[in-house]
Amino acid sequence: MNPASIRVSDAFIDYGELRALVVDDSPSMRNALRLTLSNFGVTKVQLASNAAEAIFQVKGKPCDFILCDFNLGEGRDGQQLLEEMRHGNLISLETVFMMVTAEAFYEKVVATAELAPDDYMIKPFSPEVLRNRLDSILLRKRAFREAYRHFIAQNLEAAIAACDELIRTKPKYVVEALRFKGDLLVALERSEEAEALYKDVIQMRAIPWARLGLARTLHLQKKEDAAEEELRDVLKHAPEMVAAYDLLSEVCLAKKDVSAALDALKKGVAISSKTVRRQQKLGEVAHGNGDLDTARTAFANVLNKGRHSIFVTPTDFGNLCRVQLEQGDLKAVAETLKKNKSTLQASPEGKLVMAVTQGMAHVQAGNLQEAAKLLDEVAQLRAAGTRGDAQLMLDLAGVSMANGRYEEADSIVSEVARNAHDSEALLTKAKRVYEQAGRVDAGASVLSAATSNVRKLNNEGVVLAQRGDYQTAVDKLLAACDEAPRNPRIMLNAVWVILKYIDQAGMDEKLMGIASCNLDEAERLSPGHSRISGLRLHMKDLESRYGIQRRAAG
Amino acid sequence: MKFDSTDLYAALIHELKNDLGLLSMTLESIPLQGDAAHDEPVDASRMLCQGVVDRLQQALLIYKAINQQIHPAIDAYSPHDLVREIQDRATALSRGRIQIEATLAEAVPALWFFDRDLVEMALINAIHNSLAHACSALQIKASMVEGCLALSVHDDSAGYPEHILNSVATNTSYRSSGTGLGLQFSKVIAQSHDNRGRQGELRLHNDQGAVYSLLLP
Repeated sequence: MNPASIRVSDAFIDYGELRALVVDDSPSMRNALRLTLSNFGVTKVQLASNAAEAIFQVKGKPCDFILCDFNLGEGRDGQQLLEEMRHGNLISLETVFMMVTAEAFYEKVVATAELAPDDYMIKPFSPEVLRNRLDSILLRKRAFREAYRHFIAQNLEAAIAACDELIRTKPKYVVEALRFKGDLLVALERSEEAEALYKDVIQMRAIPWARLGLARTLHLQKKEDAAEEELRDVLKHAPEMVAAYDLLSEVCLAKKDVSAALDALKKGVAISSKTVRRQQKLGEVAHGNGDLDTARTAFANVLNKGRHSIFVTPTDFGNLCRVQLEQGDLKAVAETLKKNKSTLQASPEGKLVMAVTQGMAHVQAGNLQEAAKLLDEVAQLRAAGTRGDAQLMLDLAGVSMANGRYEEADSIVSEVARNAHDSEALLTKAKRVYEQAGRVDAGASVLSAATSNVRKLNNEGVVLAQRGDYQTAVDKLLAACDEAPRNPRIMLNAVWVILKYIDQAGMDEKLMGIASCNLDEAERLSPGHSRISGLRLHMKDLESRYGIQRRAAG
Repeated sequence: MKFDSTDLYAALIHELKNDLGLLSMTLESIPLQGDAAHDEPVDASRMLCQGVVDRLQQALLIYKAINQQIHPAIDAYSPHDLVREIQDRATALSRGRIQIEATLAEAVPALWFFDRDLVEMALINAIHNSLAHACSALQIKASMVEGCLALSVHDDSAGYPEHILNSVATNTSYRSSGTGLGLQFSKVIAQSHDNRGRQGELRLHNDQGAVYSLLLP
């Protein structure tokens, strides 16, 4: 068979119809690429010189494929841009993202990243290479269209069926279809099936992503030793695979081996320091382990390297300041706040972080009066519904207690405890706040009062549901939700019993609406929680059974 | 700031490679005019420029191989796509001077496991050699040999000289000319591919021209 004939018979891609975005910081490279693209008929080409421009462009006009240089000079690199575009749903799975790398080392980092581009090319490349690579990816996207369509509609079962069809009928896409199916099985928590799938791929060839997938399914099944062994061996063969360090740190944390987890995160950061979430995790783990220097560097990196990143929130500013305070470095805290003042003042959450942090600094310096002024400001923000992460709220309670405002402090701690009634780590931190204020007994009663009612309602609801009395279970869990309005675990339980109730008693649109809101809110509070995708699927199934149109988001 | 001299050289080569890449793209954009006095030197400079780019890429890789082991990034790729891409690149490089043919044996599966970038670099190097020495035709072939995917470049040149055949067959290094460097590079790439104890191989022989084969287990 002559390969040239395949192109004619099997597929035709009309490049004149496609819209391209070229992202490169070098003007001569951008122009050279535009010229190359025009040679094979792509005339709708937009150009961007950095990540911010690229995001602006895709928001304005969706494009079919993106050619992006990995190294974009100052600011975000190509990998960060890809992650923000995919996570922020700025581009769909059908949009081709092609990374261009010049450095031999980064080509591997890019190729093995957890969120990999559709393909990558090493600079310099000839027009024929670009054309061939684009042909292949566009045809692959065409073959996967059904699977993507179902995935985008959150219809994961149907997406799996589409993958199975590809595996049966399209030998060229077998491995790619297995890879996508593996991700879907993991999302559905069908760990054993996923494990078998990855083992099948490894049987063909022990390629790193399949071994990483296997390790992930082992970790999900709590087989931590086996997962660790697999990961350590993968890293011996593919030392640039940063996603393997991330998973290794999770596995080590599950084994309560904090120093090994830190070590893994540090290695990942050394390879790819710009990934904000890895730096956040490193800071968090180091802080929890009392390694303040590492935590400070990591949290500072989050802010420096993640400038303008959608993954950076006011919490990150609070995290850095907290470590600086713990190190007694009040000057650094003042500098951090001064430098980021305009960013923090731009949102109520940012204002809250700023006020609490300044309050802590004043308490530490003995200026209780100044701290009191800030507490008044915070009280207004809270009254308007502004909340911070649990750690920040506990810090706030500490400042309040230092100022003798016990009632305010108790209500803040109580709220944190109600929303995290099952988190040993947070409740321990809350206890410590009371210890420091010399109010151990008061703390014990606040915490037990806060958690006992939530726990009681939740447990009763779950027991009733297990007995099949879904109706009463729904009442109990909705009462628990009122009690603890920001508790993901309670929300997910409420969603679960509502769906069970509808299964049994038939559609109730009002309850369905409540379940849908709770699920969205739980996902916002606890993104990637393992129960979410399963519940979404169940909800989807009920909606289609009763012919309800999915509410538009927002 | 202090520079380690070897790192400095690597960085320099890297920079040059990128500049040459741009130069090469610029040369690509010069339209042919159907006038040999214009077209031939343009073609010759394009070829030369591509050749230098590829040689620099090899130099970087060999530099890396000396300092640390090469870990090929193996994944599933389509041999069909690979052969088509190499054919397109060879056709563009030859601009009609040499006839390029590509064949895929029936037995070649839809997918095979290899490091696409490394294998392409090795094959393009072989293509450069063949384009420089072939009389009129060059054939790119994918087939199955001893259970391995065999990727071959076959030309109608006078064939490899005896000392090159010997040096590749006997594993002694041969480094008096660019040809030697390129073939050593192919060998390193072939050998970095292994699967269940079987190592990849570079095989050279003459059969009405030079035949270059990479065997990937």
